[in-house]
Amino acid sequence: MKYMLMLFEPDTDWTAVAPEEAEAALAEHGVFCAWMRERGIPYSGEPLRESATATTLRRVGAELVVTDGPFAELKENLGGFYIIEVKDLDEAIEVARHCPTGTATEIRPIWEV
Amino acid sequence: MLATVVRLTRDVDAAQDAVQEAFAAALDAWRTAGVPANPGAWLTATARRKAVDARRREESVARRLPLLIVPEPSTGYGFPDDRLRLIFTCCHPALDIASRVALTLNVVCGLPTADIAHLFLVPEPTMAARVTRAKRKLRAAGIPYRIPRDDELAERLPAVLVVVYLLFSQGHTPGRGTALTAADVAARAIDLARLLVLLLPDEPEVTGLLALLLLTDARRPARLDADGAPVLLADQDRTRWDRELIAEGTALVEELPPGPYAVQAAIAAVHAAAARAADTDWPTILRLYDVLLRVHPSPVAALARCMAYAEVAGPAAGLDALEAVAADQRLAGYHLLPAARADLLRRSGRFDEASRAYAEAAGLAGNAVEREYLLSRSAGMATAVGGSLDL
Repeated sequence: MKYMLMLFEPDTDWTAVAPEEAEAALAEHGVFCAWMRERGIPYSGEPLRESATATTLRRVGAELVVTDGPFAELKENLGGFYIIEVKDLDEAIEVARHCPTGTATEIRPIWEV
Repeated sequence: MLATVVRLTRDVDAAQDAVQEAFAAALDAWRTAGVPANPGAWLTATARRKAVDARRREESVARRLPLLIVPEPSTGYGFPDDRLRLIFTCCHPALDIASRVALTLNVVCGLPTADIAHLFLVPEPTMAARVTRAKRKLRAAGIPYRIPRDDELAERLPAVLVVVYLLFSQGHTPGRGTALTAADVAARAIDLARLLVLLLPDEPEVTGLLALLLLTDARRPARLDADGAPVLLADQDRTRWDRELIAEGTALVEELPPGPYAVQAAIAAVHAAAARAADTDWPTILRLYDVLLRVHPSPVAALARCMAYAEVAGPAAGLDALEAVAADQRLAGYHLLPAARADLLRRSGRFDEASRAYAEAAGLAGNAVEREYLLSRSAGMATAVGGSLDL
């Protein structure tokens, strides 16, 4: 089954933090990706810019209105995601355990239509 | 039987349908041909066939069928393993605890959702929705139908044991409603614990849980007086305790290493060994609570330890210990905290304060029987202040 791992963490502008800090964070993900490759787990994923850069299109009556900011203002936001392909939820949880994350990782099955 | 069919269908709903169809078929077949030598095997085989038929109907691509059938284990119908798989699936930590309990009762124990709703005092549609939602999640989220590997068992087992324990507690002391004890619910929990001991004989905490349930259930005949009011452990008529359950529970607990359930069972066994409340070996109980707080620190256990400490060191020392524990925010709103304080204040002769504490506890208690009891204690304190009540 395919799952999306959604990585929630405090909003961070990674281009503004000290370069060594950003590199350390990226290196952790590098280790995680190497770990998945070693096990032959198919994956893809992307990091996201901070939620302050988000734009949300909202339905207001019959109209779609462009608004500044993320869908929901939270202390922690979606900072990035992975799509992984594993046998079942137990394996997905095991992979998510190895995934570097700030606050929480939401594991959602992908609806394969 | 259901477990065996679930292994085939990988879908609890479809399996339940198949089992129901098998029972219906049995009614017809057995009426004409007589009851077969092994009715259970007949039903299981029929339910499996019904499940396969249903899947054939659903899936026009019959070639996918062999992929869905896991080879039969060589011994019999593989019943114990399937049952265990089903329990671990229903008690998966990815399901919230209320769903785990409801699903286990429905799928493992075969209780209809109406009965489960009644047990947990929620409207039937709410419970039906909870069970449906949980079954949907099992399938959609890919929760596997398997027994955890040995290295996962330590992590997964507590999620199963807490379901059994909660079920038992629900029968023993429902949080709301008026009947304090539902014997049949406790009996189901004990059955489930016995089954787990059979299936996982090498897990000491499973045995510890069974021992704890047996030793707690042994006191049930003495827990309520003739008017249905709860009787404190110290005041219970110990001749009414179930000696058979005590003997069984005590024998189980003797060889166990200290885990959370085993230590609680050991504490219950020490209580059970005292013919009169005055004979209770409090120093041993206090030592066991210290062990419990080491293996499983919890504010409720810390509160119980204070009461044991008060028995050893006196109510004033107990009150001091209690105030330290009461600072724990997790106990805020827990009715047994002011109830414990009230008890110690009463024994220190501070009746005014005791009365207020009993009233506070009554205000927090969710159970009508317990609330009435605490209110009557509060009123009793008012009389005691006047000096006329024999405490």
